[in-house]
Amino acid sequence: MRVARSLIAPVTGVIALLVVWEAAVRIFDIRRFVLLAPSAIVTELFDQPGAYWSNTLVTARHMLIGLTVSLMIALVVGSAMAASRFVEEAAQPVLVVILVTPWVAYMTSIVIWLDFGERPILFLVAFTTFPVFAFGVVGGMRSADPAARELLASVDASRWEVLWRLRLPSALPALFTTGRFAIALALAAAYFAEGSALEPRGLGVIGRRATTDQTGGAEVLWTTIFCTAALGIVGLAIVSIGERLLLRWHASQRT
Amino acid sequence: MSAEVELRGVSKTFGSVEALAPTDLSVPAGEILTVLGPSGCGKTTLLRLIAGLVSATAGTITVDGVDPARARAEKRIGFVPQAPALLPWRTVRANASLLLDLNPGRSPATPSHSVDELLDFVGLADFADARPHELSGGMQQRVGLVRAFALDAPLLLMDEPFAALDEITRTEMRHLLTRLREPHGATVVFVTHSISEATYLSDRVAVLSPRPGRVASIEEVTLGRPRRPELEDSPEFFEVTTRLRRALGIGAHAG
Ligand SMILES: Nc1ncnc2c1ncn2[C@@H]1O[C@H](COP(=O)(O)OP(=O)(O)OP(=O)(O)O)[C@@H](O)[C@H]1O
Ligand SMILES: [Mg+2]
Repeated sequence: MRVARSLIAPVTGVIALLVVWEAAVRIFDIRRFVLLAPSAIVTELFDQPGAYWSNTLVTARHMLIGLTVSLMIALVVGSAMAASRFVEEAAQPVLVVILVTPWVAYMTSIVIWLDFGERPILFLVAFTTFPVFAFGVVGGMRSADPAARELLASVDASRWEVLWRLRLPSALPALFTTGRFAIALALAAAYFAEGSALEPRGLGVIGRRATTDQTGGAEVLWTTIFCTAALGIVGLAIVSIGERLLLRWHASQRT
Repeated sequence: MSAEVELRGVSKTFGSVEALAPTDLSVPAGEILTVLGPSGCGKTTLLRLIAGLVSATAGTITVDGVDPARARAEKRIGFVPQAPALLPWRTVRANASLLLDLNPGRSPATPSHSVDELLDFVGLADFADARPHELSGGMQQRVGLVRAFALDAPLLLMDEPFAALDEITRTEMRHLLTRLREPHGATVVFVTHSISEATYLSDRVAVLSPRPGRVASIEEVTLGRPRRPELEDSPEFFEVTTRLRRALGIGAHAG
């Protein structure tokens, strides 16, 4: 019952968006490339569901692999940063530079470096999301209770034990929060990189090709946008479920 | 099983702050020594020095003849911090066995009491599978006591463990601590602000002067053992508390 009631407000919001969107396109006669009506997107989607489904899976795969690699590296780098002020101060400017440099600008260079195909896509997804995760790991690990740190030290716990038993669990809440940002970033990076890397498959490539196709291109472009958004929502939902399961002990999960 | 502690000319300076002036103190095996003194006089610093968590600026400390760092590495020190420092993701039972789980090669092969027995003793058997946030402050601190006692360490160091509790709970806790330690007989160094706590628990009280702390006087607590709650209503108890109050300089130099 509680779940059903908690869904009323968001569902109302989404329906309102779709209605205004559809109405605006019809009333103002907006050009199809600028904005396509939701009804037209649904028609296109049901016209060839298999193609969109398989391309969405390809993009999901790029996002997932990129995010996993990024998280692994961020855990190692973040642990080192949390353990040593020097490493943190040395790594911080590097991470900030990666974070603020527009990846849209250097994607071509990555493609030239890594050649066409999947590699530049996975690289871009991992590279852009890595600083976000690293900062999350550092902040989360630093939040470990100092009294608990002292307690662990009182029995001479090893660095590894401190990391595994105290710092990593303490970092989990921050990791889930940064995970949400990382998913949004990874999706944008994957979509854009697929278009640049001229991979045969993926929402980004068919979206990019559609922009030059005057007959039916708008339908394809907007349907890939729709599929990308849907993918992001599924990603966020998975993060929320993981948070519910793993963070039952955390104050944020209590009502 | 109990350890003796010896401090010779021990002092500690943090930058330009002298936290502890040169101090001599010896705690014979099996004694309960309370450290009483005004806020900021270096009580916590003294305890952390004995635990080997910070090193002395000058002087030598030995625990059973060895360096505190070695005593710590051999898990011969049971530490009870001021905050309960329970790990929120661990159950009560897992928290109580935390110090046993860490650095496990040094844990006692056959502890005299299991964690479950100790939890039962302090009245937490029904909460063994609960999470810390489901417990009251007094219950949390009882888990902190069990966690230290489970280690079977010959030396227990306690830093105002009951300071955050209300007066009634606090009184119950010192009664519980006395009974918990009786079969075990470990040496205890107990930091407190409370004169009744010091009187009920200890064999001797070291009264520290305001910062920089040094031992201003050592008071014998001439009360027999075993001690039971009724003792707190006796004239002998009152006599000791009055003496301690004078030693602390409360009411002595009125006007
Ligand atoms: N890690 C530290 N770095 C710098 N100064 C410190 C540090 N630890 C303690 N001090 C200083 O040393 C002095 C003694 O501190 P300590 O914590 O030992 O006092 P305390 O007697 O335990 O006080 P309280 O009763 O309030 O707990 C204080 O002036 C404190 O500011
Ligand atoms: Mg203190």
